[in-house]
Amino acid sequence: MDEVKVMDEQKRNASLNRPTERNTTQFIVTQLGGEQYGIDIKYISNIIRMSKITRVPKVPDYIKGVINVRGVVIPTLSLRLKMGLPEDEVTKRTRIIILTLEQHESIGVMVDEVKEVVTLDEEHIERIGYEKDEKERFLSGVGKADGKLISLLDITSVLSEIVDV
Amino acid sequence: MDTSQYLDIFLDESKEHLQNLSDQIMELEQNPENMDTINEIFRAAHSLKGMAGTMGYKRMQTLTHDMENVFSEVRNGTFKVQPGMIDILFKSLDALEEYVNNIQQTTEEGTNDNQDLIDALNSILKNNGEVKVGDSASAAPAAPAAEPAAPKAESSTADGSGGKGERWQDIKINDTEKMLIEKAYTEGLKVYGVTVYVEEACVLKAARAFLVFKALEKLGEIIVSSPTAQDIEDEKFELTFSLIFISGNTADEIKDAVKSVSEIEEAFCAEYKMAAAPAKAAETAKVEVKAPEEVKAAVPAPAAAPVAPAKPAASTTKPTASAKPVVNRTVRVDIEKLDNLMNLVSELIIAKNSLISATAAEGKGDNNSVNEQIEYLESVTTNLHESVMKVRMVPIESVVAKFPRMIRDLSKKLGKKMELYMTGEDTELDRTVVDEIGDPLMHMLRNSADHGLEPNDVRIANGKPEVGSIFLDAYQDGNNVVIAVRDDGGGINVEAVRNKAIERGTVTPEQAETMTEKEIIDLLFLPSFSTAKKVSDVSGRGVGLDVVKSKIESLSGEVEVKNHFGEGSSWIIRLPLTLAIIQALMVVVGDEKYAIALGSIQTIEDVLPEDIKLVQAKEVIHIRGTVIPIIRLRNVLDIPSAEENSNKNLTVIIVKKGDKLAGLVVDELIGQQEVVIKSMGKYIKVPKMISGATILGNGEVALILDTNALI
Repeated sequence: MDEVKVMDEQKRNASLNRPTERNTTQFIVTQLGGEQYGIDIKYISNIIRMSKITRVPKVPDYIKGVINVRGVVIPTLSLRLKMGLPEDEVTKRTRIIILTLEQHESIGVMVDEVKEVVTLDEEHIERIGYEKDEKERFLSGVGKADGKLISLLDITSVLSEIVDV
Repeated sequence: MDTSQYLDIFLDESKEHLQNLSDQIMELEQNPENMDTINEIFRAAHSLKGMAGTMGYKRMQTLTHDMENVFSEVRNGTFKVQPGMIDILFKSLDALEEYVNNIQQTTEEGTNDNQDLIDALNSILKNNGEVKVGDSASAAPAAPAAEPAAPKAESSTADGSGGKGERWQDIKINDTEKMLIEKAYTEGLKVYGVTVYVEEACVLKAARAFLVFKALEKLGEIIVSSPTAQDIEDEKFELTFSLIFISGNTADEIKDAVKSVSEIEEAFCAEYKMAAAPAKAAETAKVEVKAPEEVKAAVPAPAAAPVAPAKPAASTTKPTASAKPVVNRTVRVDIEKLDNLMNLVSELIIAKNSLISATAAEGKGDNNSVNEQIEYLESVTTNLHESVMKVRMVPIESVVAKFPRMIRDLSKKLGKKMELYMTGEDTELDRTVVDEIGDPLMHMLRNSADHGLEPNDVRIANGKPEVGSIFLDAYQDGNNVVIAVRDDGGGINVEAVRNKAIERGTVTPEQAETMTEKEIIDLLFLPSFSTAKKVSDVSGRGVGLDVVKSKIESLSGEVEVKNHFGEGSSWIIRLPLTLAIIQALMVVVGDEKYAIALGSIQTIEDVLPEDIKLVQAKEVIHIRGTVIPIIRLRNVLDIPSAEENSNKNLTVIIVKKGDKLAGLVVDELIGQQEVVIKSMGKYIKVPKMISGATILGNGEVALILDTNALI
């Protein structure tokens, strides 16, 4: 019940009267290959278990196909392939994160695992400069939480490239 | 007053009135003596003026006012309708339409005074006035109101339309009312007849009448009114209404009370004298004692309230909602809400489908009651779907209603005599489609009028009737709506098109030689291809038919041309009834499921592998005398799967596009199913051969093949 977890975290923060005035952002931490990636929670509308993906012919290989999320057909892409990592291996931990950037326009991204929600202060986020390699193109920065390093995904740049394709 | 919230209503109603005016004026042109038409025109113009005035659109109001004056004179018989007048009236309508369009876009009416039209209208008034009724000439230009020229009828009862007087004398009273009056006499009250004239410019006549009723009820009791209270409430009266009234006050007091209401032009009040002898009064008074209950029941609204003059009979004027006449029982609904409703119905259908597949998976056998319920659910969802679809349907009338006028104008402009015959205006289409087909249809009609029909002298020389005919026929054909534009003109000169194509370099002479008539005609749909010898204002600029075609295709429709050289041509548009839910055949290719729209499927064939022949390195099959190319979906859709068993019989679905056929090879057929077409979102650029996706009963997504793109 990952969905519930996200909600609870948000609620708890709200009730603890934490953050908003301080510059904090919440991220969902996902596992992708050996690394952890954070996705800004404001883009996430849903996290679902792996479901049957219908392949669509003649599209780039990182687009895995389309899925049905509560009656809406949503295209799904593999973050691994998009970022140049080896093909996904579907396990029972595999999740599809539904991102919604604009009204009524959603896209699903496959990740190996969804770990937790972290709240990062602006001061714990290190922005990445102009020199980005293939993988770093999609990163907005690196966050530090409990001694771990989390690469923060720049979702808009991941998706904007897809729209152009 | 803030009128912005009424803007939508104003626009809708103005358009209705304008269309009505246009129709009626057309009618008037044919039939200048028809009083009904003239009255209808007058009413529409009058309402339009009132509305424009209320909304503060002064220019629009002025122009309508002057139009109304002309009609008023025609109605009064001062002068007759003449052809020149019709033209000016049409021009005025165009100007009004421009105002309305401006208002729609900017909420302002624009700055065009259309003084020339106003002058023209006034000069109609003036000139005819001089010719026919000498004394009104001087009044016309200065005060273009209707009154000066209207015959001032002295006798109130003789003239129905013009004169003013104490019309209450015309009111007929029945026995119950007579009783009430007699009773009033015995109580020493007076009975008055009152006639009220509302100002011509008054917009809310019913509201004014209501206020008059209110004012009078303070002074006494209204026994009867003409027209009835219900009609007055519904504004079913012109500028006057009369009533009979019991009161202890004097006639002048009553008159003042009525006139205290604004926008009341005149009020007449005099004592009412009944023909019946007052001697009977005593007798009837006795009856009265037990009468009230009956009276209440028997007499409708106006006379209902019995003897209590102190307590104004509020019920007489309160709107009785249930009794409202069925003029327009419609609600305007935002199309987005309907889309929403449609989506929900789609969800329901999907849920139903999953129920079916779930029970099927549970195992066949003893769940008869479940099956029954599912069948019941199925019939409910099907009906619901149909109803929701019907809500979105509007008759194409709203689009085609403007065409007779357009053809009339074209006829004048082109100097050709022609008639437009329309059938099936009540054919219904999805709202979104109806909004889009206006332009293509207009274009095709213009084409027929300009290129299709020959000049009148040529027609006579060819032994055809002088007046050309254009037909617009609409009808439903299965899941499609067909709209055909047909003319009895010269038809398409295929040779001329062929030569033109060669001349333009569209095709080489060699190519042109081998092209069929149909292929040649299809050239007309290419961008910038016009064969009109001279470019006219109407058509022939080479833009158009390609636009027509792409527009229709964007609505998933198609255009077909039938040509009979020398006898005319017809252009047939075929449009789908709806775009959201279709009947489809579900098939399996590899381990994937696809939906193919049933509409495009011709037949399904079982084909032996050895029946497939190679022609120019392409696979074809020969079925019932036709050679049909084979498309292996497995290859086209890049389906990665095991080797095909080449000895097995092939299942081939024969699909058609226009008159082209193709055979799609699939692995397995699942069956027919209602599918809901879903968009796949903008984050994925789907290939052309996929027209959308749908959700199956088990929650999986299946893609819908667009067979047109495959052929």
